[in-house]
Amino acid sequence: MHLSWVTAAWSAAIAACVTIALQHVWVWVKDRSAIDHLVTAAAMLGTAGVGVCELLLMRASTPEEFAFVLRWVQAPVAVTVVALIVFVRSHLHAGRVWLFWAVIGTRVAASLVVNFLVTGGVIYSEVVRLQPVTFLGETVSTAEGIQSPWVLLGRLGTILMLAYFIDAAITIWRRGDRRRAVVVCGSMIIYGAVGVVHVALIHSGRLRSPYLLTFAFLGITAAMSYELAADVLRARDLAESLRVSEAKARESAERLGLAIRAASIVIWVWDIVKDEFWISPETRALRGFESSERITLDRYLDAVHPADRENARERIGVALAGNGIFENEYRFLGPGGERWFSVKGIVERDAGGRAVRMRGASLDITARKAAEAQLLLQREELAHLSRVTMVGELSGSLAHELNQPLTAILSNAQAAQRHLAHAAPDLGEVREILGDIVSEDKRAGEVIRRLRLLLRKGEVSHQRLDLSEVVADVMKITRSDLVSRGITASVNAAADLPAVAGDRVQLQQVLLNLVVNGCDAMAGEPVAGERRLTVRVGPESAGAVRVSVEDHGPGIPAERLTGVFEPFFTTKAQGLGLGLAVCRTIIDAHGGRIWAENNRDGSGASFHFTIPAAGPA
Amino acid sequence: MKDRAPTVFAVDDEPATLKAIARLLRAAGWTVAPYASPAEFLERVDPDAPGCLVLDMSMPGMTGLEVQLALEARGVALPVVFLTGRADVPSSVKAMKRGAADFLTKPVDERDLLAAIERSVEKDAAARRDRAEVAEITERLATLTPREREVLARVISGKLNKQIAADLGTVEKTVKVHRGRVMAKMNASSVADLVRLAERAGVRRA
Repeated sequence: MHLSWVTAAWSAAIAACVTIALQHVWVWVKDRSAIDHLVTAAAMLGTAGVGVCELLLMRASTPEEFAFVLRWVQAPVAVTVVALIVFVRSHLHAGRVWLFWAVIGTRVAASLVVNFLVTGGVIYSEVVRLQPVTFLGETVSTAEGIQSPWVLLGRLGTILMLAYFIDAAITIWRRGDRRRAVVVCGSMIIYGAVGVVHVALIHSGRLRSPYLLTFAFLGITAAMSYELAADVLRARDLAESLRVSEAKARESAERLGLAIRAASIVIWVWDIVKDEFWISPETRALRGFESSERITLDRYLDAVHPADRENARERIGVALAGNGIFENEYRFLGPGGERWFSVKGIVERDAGGRAVRMRGASLDITARKAAEAQLLLQREELAHLSRVTMVGELSGSLAHELNQPLTAILSNAQAAQRHLAHAAPDLGEVREILGDIVSEDKRAGEVIRRLRLLLRKGEVSHQRLDLSEVVADVMKITRSDLVSRGITASVNAAADLPAVAGDRVQLQQVLLNLVVNGCDAMAGEPVAGERRLTVRVGPESAGAVRVSVEDHGPGIPAERLTGVFEPFFTTKAQGLGLGLAVCRTIIDAHGGRIWAENNRDGSGASFHFTIPAAGPA
Repeated sequence: MKDRAPTVFAVDDEPATLKAIARLLRAAGWTVAPYASPAEFLERVDPDAPGCLVLDMSMPGMTGLEVQLALEARGVALPVVFLTGRADVPSSVKAMKRGAADFLTKPVDERDLLAAIERSVEKDAAARRDRAEVAEITERLATLTPREREVLARVISGKLNKQIAADLGTVEKTVKVHRGRVMAKMNASSVADLVRLAERAGVRRA
């Protein structure tokens, strides 16, 4: 059998188009959102239609037959062209919209409307006769006819199409996606231009050749199909990397879960709009919540220890109104008893700045709190011991302080008795005496109260304090001790000092220590006039108050300036060596600093401590 | 001058105590002069005023012992009753050695305080009487001539007129005359009396 190359080439092209089209249709059936596959399939099927028509044109035996097929080939051409430009628009998102509609409009008008309305069709108004030519070693039919004036409309549509492709290619190129610009748009422009020129030459009668549009379209649709296949590959890569990152995410979630369980962290989210808490299920029970119970903020705070509740609520309010960070430590009351948690939450806001959510984590710090409490207890006991020791050292002075009012009271009372023993007692004088007795008794009571306060073994309570008052109190306690040691003490307190937050007794203790130490340091000074002790209270930079105790003793050897605060450091025969160590502990607990230095003028030493100022009341 | 009433001077830096003690002493009938500081007292003290001083031991600026020394330096011989807040043995010993009249611990009972004041005032009066007597004897001694002094020195050492005359290179008769004059000038009723007077005035025997 004689093999026809023409039949073979066109059949192969048609078969390829149909096969690839079916694949794309299949993809679209599986995924209805993959419109680009449907569009590509339409272009492929249109191309196949063009191929069938071209084969029929070459085999046409009469001018009528040729004219009939030539009119109908316009339909698959229109389908293919529309599919191409829809693909460019929907898949590549390029090309001007007006150009897009202009291409569709002219193509539909030329190929589908005018073509079937005017006599003979849009290309030839009449096919005069068939002209056989040799093509690929075969004799095939070409036509000779009168060109329709409407052929210009079809040509305009084709030029608009090429313009649309060029415009799209430029946009895509500029977008940086050069591969697509070259592969897809480049093939559309080149094959399109070649096809157009070839057809124009045939129609104008300058070239005797069968139509070869099938292959131009095949080139373009192959590029489209390749583009979609590349997408599939990209999607596969994406899916793979997604799978990997998912696995990683799962692994890190597992690790986080492990860490959360190991560190007893509770994760929670508070939906502020709905006022509802999400808390990990296993911890719900620990807090005494039912597993399905709706937890509002109030319900959540119900589980907080009453002593901590209002503070927690207040802090949440501050976080919502302010910087969005909630940090607090509080106790939870659960079926297993009371447990301490350190809680941190971060507020999330919507675009309008409205707080919509707070995410947070709570860490169980019960063990740490217990250790802290134990340490605090030991620290308090040590501080108390040191205080008792000091009061012992000051007992003579304190006895003297008590003796003064007692002496006045006794003498006053006995004077009054004498007045009353007279026949005509001076009652005015007696009344005055009784008034003095009352005030002296109160004074004695005050001394005892101060003493009891110092000896009390109580919990540390921080309150707003004026440090110059603390200094005045201490100077009262030590007054007679200073007098009997021949020491002149002066207090230099700045006015309008900011208040500090502190424990009155503990700060008194620190000052007492420093004053007594200063006095001890000057015990060896030969001249009583040189035994001067100055206590200064003044503002320290950075919102703190500084208290300084300056003596005029021999000073401290430079290498011992820091060592004096070490426990068991003492220069006194009967000293425990704990006084300054306890002072440092107390000042540290107040967030302050304590240090010693020798005076600039070389006489004596100064001890300073600072306490941060309390916030506004 | 002899009839001047005794005054109790009181020095205490503690105003309430000073006031109460002054009040008590006044109620007990004493004239009281209170001072709030040692400096003020030392500035105003009158060496001739009879009485005693009630002095607080521990005061800022000057201790009671220092006040005592300052008084001595000024020739003020007021007996001092110390009041102290603490029974501090070394300083009480020191005070007593320097002639403190008494050393009382606060709070002080009126019986102890008044008794101490009474004793001190009496002691002061006696001392003043004593000082006045010595002054009078010294005055009389001043009227003696040098020769009469020489005779006096020998009479009080128990020498006979004859021995005195030999000592002075004169005759017994002259000695007798001198002796008579000495007895008259010194207002002595007997040799024993003369010896007592001369001893009070610290005349040396020869």
